[in-house]
Amino acid sequence: MTAYLARRVLQAVAVVLLVTLIVFGLLRLAPGGAAAGVLGSGSAHQEFLAQYLTWLGHVLGGNLGRSARLNEGVGALLAASLPRTLVLTGVSTLLALLIAVPVGLLQAVRRNSAVDHLLRGLTYLFYGMPPFVLGSVLILYFAIDKHFFGAEGPQAPGIAGVITDPRDLTLPVLTLALVTIAIFARYMRSSALDSLGQEYVEAARARGGGERRVVINHVLRNSLVPVVTLLGLSFPQIVGGALVVEILFNIQGMGWQIWQAAVNHDFPVTLGFTLVIGVAAAVGSLLADVGYALLDPRVRGARS
Amino acid sequence: MRSGGHRRGGAVAACCAAVGLALLLAACGPASGSSSGAAPAASGGGTTVTYAMQPGAVINYPFPFFTGGSGGNLGNDDVYNVNDFQYQMYRPLYWFGTGVSPYLNTKLSLAAPPVYNGKTVVIRLKQNYRWSNGEPVDASDVMFYFNMMIAEGKNYGFYDSSGLPADIASVHATSRYVVTIELKSVNFSQSWFTNNQLSEITPMPMAWDRTASGRSNCASSVTNCLAVYAYLAKQAGKAASAIASSPLWSIVDGPWKLQSINSQGKVVMTFNNQYGGPVAPGHITTFVQLPYTSEQAEYNVLQDPTAGQTIDVGYLPTVDAPSPAAGALAGANPSTLPNYHLSAQYIWQLSYMPYNFKNTTGQAPIFDQLYFRQAFQDLVDQEGVINGPLHGYGKPTAGPVSLYPPTTYLSQQVESGGDVWSLNINAAEKLLREHGWNVRPNGLDTCAHAGTGAGECGAKIPGGMALKLSMIYASGIDWIQSAARELASNASLAGIQLSVKAESFGSVVGAVFSDAKCYATKITDCTWQLADWGSWTYAPDYLPTGDTLFSGTAPNNGGGYNDAKDNQMITATLQARTPRQFDNAMHAWDSYLTDQLPVVYEPDQATLVETIKGLDTGPWNSADQITPEYWHYVK
Repeated sequence: MTAYLARRVLQAVAVVLLVTLIVFGLLRLAPGGAAAGVLGSGSAHQEFLAQYLTWLGHVLGGNLGRSARLNEGVGALLAASLPRTLVLTGVSTLLALLIAVPVGLLQAVRRNSAVDHLLRGLTYLFYGMPPFVLGSVLILYFAIDKHFFGAEGPQAPGIAGVITDPRDLTLPVLTLALVTIAIFARYMRSSALDSLGQEYVEAARARGGGERRVVINHVLRNSLVPVVTLLGLSFPQIVGGALVVEILFNIQGMGWQIWQAAVNHDFPVTLGFTLVIGVAAAVGSLLADVGYALLDPRVRGARS
Repeated sequence: MRSGGHRRGGAVAACCAAVGLALLLAACGPASGSSSGAAPAASGGGTTVTYAMQPGAVINYPFPFFTGGSGGNLGNDDVYNVNDFQYQMYRPLYWFGTGVSPYLNTKLSLAAPPVYNGKTVVIRLKQNYRWSNGEPVDASDVMFYFNMMIAEGKNYGFYDSSGLPADIASVHATSRYVVTIELKSVNFSQSWFTNNQLSEITPMPMAWDRTASGRSNCASSVTNCLAVYAYLAKQAGKAASAIASSPLWSIVDGPWKLQSINSQGKVVMTFNNQYGGPVAPGHITTFVQLPYTSEQAEYNVLQDPTAGQTIDVGYLPTVDAPSPAAGALAGANPSTLPNYHLSAQYIWQLSYMPYNFKNTTGQAPIFDQLYFRQAFQDLVDQEGVINGPLHGYGKPTAGPVSLYPPTTYLSQQVESGGDVWSLNINAAEKLLREHGWNVRPNGLDTCAHAGTGAGECGAKIPGGMALKLSMIYASGIDWIQSAARELASNASLAGIQLSVKAESFGSVVGAVFSDAKCYATKITDCTWQLADWGSWTYAPDYLPTGDTLFSGTAPNNGGGYNDAKDNQMITATLQARTPRQFDNAMHAWDSYLTDQLPVVYEPDQATLVETIKGLDTGPWNSADQITPEYWHYVK
């Protein structure tokens, strides 16, 4: 297990270094001296590798450059927008996981029943509905018509400021969660159906295990592997933000910031945020691999 | 020519910049005191107004002096940083706009109207204005700005080779409240000098006359001004959180002081009790500006009276606005906004789309032909755009001076004729046929008769050349996208193949105003043909004299239009000695460029302002200025 983890960590480090190399290459190519903005004007005469290593040193020291448009360091912009996005997407993903796993499992156990048909219809509906439409419908009914929740996301700074405003947090989280639940539940149902047909499940039943015990102890654990994959793949989205929801709910999160930077040619911000999202993708992939190994000993055995 | 566009949805104003410069381009929590409160009833009193900014607007730059060139701060010269932020704290020497009139507002200006005598200009400051540190606003504060301008020279953000600072022979404080300027030339229009040159000046307090090492003397000597500028620009470029706590930026002469500003762009200002200018009785005392990520997000909050951050003044997306009745400026409110009053604000601006006469892909000779420009303008359905995507909130544009707000600058031809270039596809086809083109409606026109004679296509247009054109337009602005697609459709009916492509606002404006390849001494690679980003706002140069957009040497003549008669007529406006001579020169020039079509004229779009009932803001200022010190709640 240790050797397996070490290899995965080394692979992740290599991927992160590759991401930094690509991002620096783009920064150097960007017009307007974006690289010089981070490296300092005295770096112009240096070779690519020397510039890259200097830049890497800056990045490791937390200096991702500065936005001339916003008069802010990229690090400060990240510090302002990342907590909002982490709370928004993190809570919605957690909520989706907590609902989608039992829903998918229930659908598999009650395959082709009325409950399965109903839940399948709902998951198709939410899966097919663009977040902009879903969010707008939720705002129109729950905020503008009924005043149950706020029409915009939390505006207070920091994680504490966002979390302590459940009235304004509910609708953006719900918009993201409903779509995510639909995706996770579809995967969970399919995976659980596969597990239910496995011989070890039949053997557990034959040994006299109750249905509930069989499902929880044998089906659930083995069915979670594809969901863990999905979770790992969604990590960059968790960090990168949900642009449409952020725009609709007036949340200055990662997605909105990177979009604004892109349309305004704010290269240090675009590339600084891209770097963070790239690192998140590598970390997400690493966590998914760790998750496989924890869920299925055959995985670490086969790969070690 | 202030960049950044209007503060509202749908309407994008021009970015400004000189050629070669950088791209010209709060809340009350649930109980924090928004006077509109959480109840869905209209306001009936209170001291706070929460004002919703345009989506994506950024306020973060307090220093009201701009420079261009590499390392300059002209990129911060936009309507949000200047009109909504700097001018609230640091009043410009001369204020423009009184309701719909875009002229000099003597009541809100810090000085009496300038007195002209030959080459001498005398500025006499009013004596009732003080800085918040107790010092009077006097001639030394004006000299501070002038000296910094002279020190920066061609780097000055609004440098004009025939105006400031190039034309200054000397400038002195001749008494505590009087500044006297001696100019080198005598042939200048007084209206132009007041409206387009002195309009740029904002007095700066003596507390700013310093460097990191201590006090300096830029107000009395040009020598030290570059170091002072560098120090102030560095302080202004600090993070938002540092601006509110800065001892520099807290010294104000305007009606508002900065209380807080955060990295999200939420700005809270409180009333400056030492402000010496006019205010309304019972005016508000806290002015909050809130940032928004989108028009839709702002509209959602407007519709939710229980929102944590209720909006007292905000903007309605044009797409959500009911059309006004014939003759009315504004229509009824959407039914979901019963607590608000809707008004339409027309900014002092020009909506147009330049042709690129410097184009190097072969289309420039086509644009050179007046008959082609007339035919192309015949394909623009301004009424269709106004009644379609603009929902009736627009006015046609016929020439270089906008029809609205009303001014004395319009030629009789335009004032009486309105949209003299209404949609007429048959007329476009006829013009092309008469000039040697084989017109194929819904096909592709080709030049059948090359040459420069009557009935021929024109100089440098080879036989067989097809009328295939391209146009870039700013994405994310509904009416511009609709107008671009409709124009392409109308063009195809006349056999002109117009391919339209959406690009970011920055890309479009950058291509027109700051692409080095299009401003090289010898242009070999300048590819854009037509570009549409919206409008050009006349600020801080408030006169539409053409010296900024239409003369051959105009700094913002992005398309490179150059016509000897046009240049002469612009010079005539700049040299008119009396207001009557000035108006006459403007009428002649407006009439000429209405016919010459140096650009494609487009509809002038309105800004739709929603104001909470019970809040009296007075009429909206056509020069895009806001005066919250006049805002008050009525019972």
